[in-house]
Amino acid sequence: MLLFRSEEHVDRWCGRRGIPRGGTMTFEQAWQLARAWYGDKLRPEWRRKSPEEAEAVFEKVGLTEAFWKLR
Amino acid sequence: MATSVDQTVRLHIFEQAAATGTVPSPEVIASGTGLSLESVQASLRRLADGRVIVLSPTSPAIWMANPFSAVPTDFRVIAAGRSYFGNCIWDALGIPAILGADGYVEASCGDCGQPMRVDVRGGAVHGAGVVHFAVPARHWWVNIGYT
Repeated sequence: MLLFRSEEHVDRWCGRRGIPRGGTMTFEQAWQLARAWYGDKLRPEWRRKSPEEAEAVFEKVGLTEAFWKLR
Repeated sequence: MATSVDQTVRLHIFEQAAATGTVPSPEVIASGTGLSLESVQASLRRLADGRVIVLSPTSPAIWMANPFSAVPTDFRVIAAGRSYFGNCIWDALGIPAILGADGYVEASCGDCGQPMRVDVRGGAVHGAGVVHFAVPARHWWVNIGYT
């Protein structure tokens, strides 16, 4: 998962590799995702999220397309 | 199924990585927890099987303790006065998140290579750009290094 300066740069990168455009998110979404995913990982009770829990995190951040489904 | 040894090892890995910027080696984990090296190595394999960490493909060492990378990457993070490496931009932002601290990510545009910086200040992110995932979520673990 990479950073790009703009959507045009994403399109150029995908075009050079001959691969379809994947899923994109804004920096705000990436930050909210990072907080939800890692904010509690130093706690002793942390455990890995189930696919259902992970999808709920993605949905909460606004990632609702099929690309973000785990099941 | 995670054992209490695994919980001890997991916490030690992440606490050390957070406190020092360095993901500990199996030997350092053994020394820090009082466990035998064999117990640590077995625990690391179980943690990797459970996708809690990722082991190096060529050695018993840890490659990724997400969000921390054990090796230098293109995603350098400065937070809480220390330098870290994230495995990707999600992980790089995960470092200020896991530390509960301000920080910034130094990376570059995946297309043109121009340097890019993403700041986290006062709980908010600042920067301009787009994050792109080439691999659909259900395939992320097929090749987590590529993802």
